[in-house]
Amino acid sequence: MARRAPRSLRVTANVVGLLAALVAVFPVYWMVNSAFLPRNKIRAPEPTWLPFGGDLDNFRTVLGGGTFWDALATSLMVTLSTVVVAVLFAFAAAVAVSRFRFRGRTSFILALLVIQMIPVEGLFISQYKMLESADLLNTVGGLTLVYVATVLPFTVWTLRGFVDGVPYELEEAAMIDGCSRTQAFLRVTFPLLAPGLVATGVFGFIQAWNEFTLAVVVMTREDRRTLPLWLSSFTEVNRGTDWGAIMAGSTLIAIPVVLFFLAVQGRMVAGLTSGAVKG
Amino acid sequence: MRIKRTLAGAALTALALTALAACGDDEGDGSSADGGPDKADIRVWLNGADTPDAAREWLKETFEEENPGSTLTIEQQEWDGLVEKLTTALSSESETPDVVEIGNTQAPTFTSAGAFSDLTDDLDDLGGDDLLPGFVEGATVDGSTYAVPYYAGAKYVFYRKDLFDKAGVTVPTTLDEFVDTAVKLKQANPDPANFSGFWFPGQDWRNGAAFVWDAGGELAVEDGGEWAGALSSPESVAGLETAQKLFAEASGAPKDGNEADPQTPFCAGEVGMMSTPSWVMGLLTDPKTGCPELADQVGVFALPGSDGGPAPVLLGGSDLAVPAKSGNQDLARKAIALMLSDEYQTILAENNLTPAKESLASLLGDDEFAQATIEAASNAKLTPAAPGWATVEGSRVLEDLFSGIAQGGDVAELAAKADEQMNSQLNG
Amino acid sequence: MTGPATTTPRPAPRPPRRADRPGDGRDGDRPTRRRRPRQPLPSGLLLPALLALAVALGYPLVRQVVLSMQEFGLSQQFGRPPSWVGLENYRELVTDPYLWKVTVRSLVFCLVNAGATMVVGTGLALLMRHMSRPVRLVLQSGLLLAWAMPVVASLTVWQWLFDTQYGVVNWLLTRLGGDYEGHAWLLEPASFFLVATVVIVWMSVPFVAFTLYAALTQVSEDTLEAAEIDGAGPVQRLRHVILPTLRPVMLVVGLLQIIWDLRVFTQIYVLQKAGGTTRDTNLLGTYIYRLGIGGGDFGMAAAVAIFMLALTVLLTAPYVRAMLRQEES
Repeated sequence: MARRAPRSLRVTANVVGLLAALVAVFPVYWMVNSAFLPRNKIRAPEPTWLPFGGDLDNFRTVLGGGTFWDALATSLMVTLSTVVVAVLFAFAAAVAVSRFRFRGRTSFILALLVIQMIPVEGLFISQYKMLESADLLNTVGGLTLVYVATVLPFTVWTLRGFVDGVPYELEEAAMIDGCSRTQAFLRVTFPLLAPGLVATGVFGFIQAWNEFTLAVVVMTREDRRTLPLWLSSFTEVNRGTDWGAIMAGSTLIAIPVVLFFLAVQGRMVAGLTSGAVKG
Repeated sequence: MRIKRTLAGAALTALALTALAACGDDEGDGSSADGGPDKADIRVWLNGADTPDAAREWLKETFEEENPGSTLTIEQQEWDGLVEKLTTALSSESETPDVVEIGNTQAPTFTSAGAFSDLTDDLDDLGGDDLLPGFVEGATVDGSTYAVPYYAGAKYVFYRKDLFDKAGVTVPTTLDEFVDTAVKLKQANPDPANFSGFWFPGQDWRNGAAFVWDAGGELAVEDGGEWAGALSSPESVAGLETAQKLFAEASGAPKDGNEADPQTPFCAGEVGMMSTPSWVMGLLTDPKTGCPELADQVGVFALPGSDGGPAPVLLGGSDLAVPAKSGNQDLARKAIALMLSDEYQTILAENNLTPAKESLASLLGDDEFAQATIEAASNAKLTPAAPGWATVEGSRVLEDLFSGIAQGGDVAELAAKADEQMNSQLNG
Repeated sequence: MTGPATTTPRPAPRPPRRADRPGDGRDGDRPTRRRRPRQPLPSGLLLPALLALAVALGYPLVRQVVLSMQEFGLSQQFGRPPSWVGLENYRELVTDPYLWKVTVRSLVFCLVNAGATMVVGTGLALLMRHMSRPVRLVLQSGLLLAWAMPVVASLTVWQWLFDTQYGVVNWLLTRLGGDYEGHAWLLEPASFFLVATVVIVWMSVPFVAFTLYAALTQVSEDTLEAAEIDGAGPVQRLRHVILPTLRPVMLVVGLLQIIWDLRVFTQIYVLQKAGGTTRDTNLLGTYIYRLGIGGGDFGMAAAVAIFMLALTVLLTAPYVRAMLRQEES
């Protein structure tokens, strides 16, 4: 794709890209930098730009006691289930609204939009009651359920856009070649949706990974904490917040997200380089 | 209209969605009239890292020894999100813990809502008049007490001895002297420009309240069951004017800043005096968090009042309570009794927490820090026990007031505005 | 459906609707998809999503509506029966003049932020196509890192960067010759909101850029080439080929930005703690939190939530109409 771009455009794009990357990364860099510094260097009249003279103390603090690994396991279970379930459910629904016409279709789509608009901040009490009556408090399943519902509307809408983007005629052609309708869909359309699945998957992952408000009321047991709850244990009202620990903990929390992205991003690029849709 | 019809359809869909989820909404009647079984597992919620491990172990062992067949589990919670957590968990008979720790300024919201069991009849067994009076008062509604003190956190003034010598001032013994000292310190240290004779960030109403109270003013007063803001009374305004003088002539802290991380300006050599919680000393002496070389120069004293005694300062700390929906009322009370026992409170005192009983204050030791703690705690006050106080704090009326005063605003006008805002919030 | 929401084959502004004409599916000559007549399959496909939404959101939503017409505070939460107050909560809400001030402020803030986020995000997504591979990877990694950073950490760091006394921004500007020693960024509301906008745009752009970049993969290379051969310049190609393809996803993403930025809470809440005057910097999110949940008045909080919903619906009505128009083929 880039091959076609005129030189000047490419240079401009590269310069803007690097500048944007710098702005995007700087706060992240500052977090990692602070994670290696003692507390009296993190905030001081002279900023410490590089973690020289720093050490691993903050990481030792947050990893000591082993509570990190419990929280990591819980977070991974909740987040991965959320992503898998939400993407599956949303994908099915997206195919339904995109490839079929049925009564109530438009209403369904509009309902999704409206659901998306409801402020969820105040819902936690009712959601707690619902999970309590289903005996789902302090369970991965319970938290996953509310997370799935939170990311579903967006995921359905976005995937629907992607399914729409693949012309139905491609499937028809495959059917003429002898595929069943389902086969045609799976072989022709599905691979072209990979970028959409990746984009919505990453969205769901980050939403579930960083969620705090619901998790704090649903997961009250120490061994069921998710990572954001674990991180909040370093915010101490009565002893002053240990910022070094917060930054070290945040750095650790960010790593799995990056790994997840690296694992799936190939699909996004693949869609691109293969020339994508020959519509 | 197409859109209209679609909207109607959407509404129907939404209704259909909800019809599928007709879950029960039984609130339960909340009465656990009997004291519960003789043997049970008691769940105690403690927040943050304040309670030392030694105390936790002692509590578990002693409780299980004294109540054979029962167990006690301490479930670690965090301060972050605590109110939301209590709001949900305490309303559920199956989920509620049997004993909870709660911040002393958070307690009134829950006590007036019926979330906790009445402990009035147990007060005498738990310590009676010996319990920190401000705390008991703050947890009392219509003559019934719903929570007892757990520990307090003292706040006193840290000062730099070397800077005192340089400026030729001594430890002040009245509030007027204190203000003079702060101003003189600032004048004696023109460099750096943001030097503070008394470090007083604009949002710090918790320290500011002391000046109001010392002048005879109040944040809010109750009259015939109705709460009203009292910041615009002449006494309160006089106190606020003292604060304004300190802001203008003694403080180099940001006029809209908060009081977090006081060790940073202190270690940068920008502070002559500051009023902070006692644990800040630990931060100052640690080479990783503070500045041991400056910490050597630190002295402390309790903020003096106009009358020469200690000034009334806002006291932080924690309460203990038994959730009303707990099924183990009797055992929970036994656990609380243990947590207020001399042995347990001694462990807390050894970890620099001010004990819940006045008679145990001497356990803190007799160095200048302990003296300052005991003195400050002896005349401490709490925020008004109004049902809507949490809303006042939530809407940050007082932060705005003090920050406005710090920026040089008209005190009487700002105070009247704050009162007006509080009047609509205090009564819940 | 109207408009070339899917791959548009020609640089022509708008191909006529041709849903009635079957194509062969290979020559790229098809503007829209076709749908089959009603079939039993959709219910099976829809059911999982419907069930999940109904269970996790349906009941809480109904309860929210009921709550909004009750006096329901902490006492009720702990067992006292709630009393029915009808529209009293709403009346109290709309007669509060401060609420309207905050509402106007929030609307302006929301539109500025959503607009800025969309412009920056779309711009980056489009430029990514023209970057050389390593630069694109660097940018993508950077955006991802920014997106992956836990909110507690990012808000703390931004607060430090703009700190009055020890902030890196002031330090740099002072070194560059400005008079920024001890400059209080949060003191003036305008400056407060500028900082808030920087933080919010920084936090939201990665999502927009990633999603739109993914959507860009659906732009047909063949079509672009054909357009170029037909003499369409870069701007024309952007307008007539690329943007129409992005449109459906842009609409969703843009809608989401509006929704999020209208009820922005955490960023403002944290910045208010750091400085500024709360009453002059409240947005709907923070005001409402203080009105309801912070004070334990859940009936009022629910009424406010419904009010927010109505406001969002009004604000996004043109959007929603555009999206629905897409639906009608």
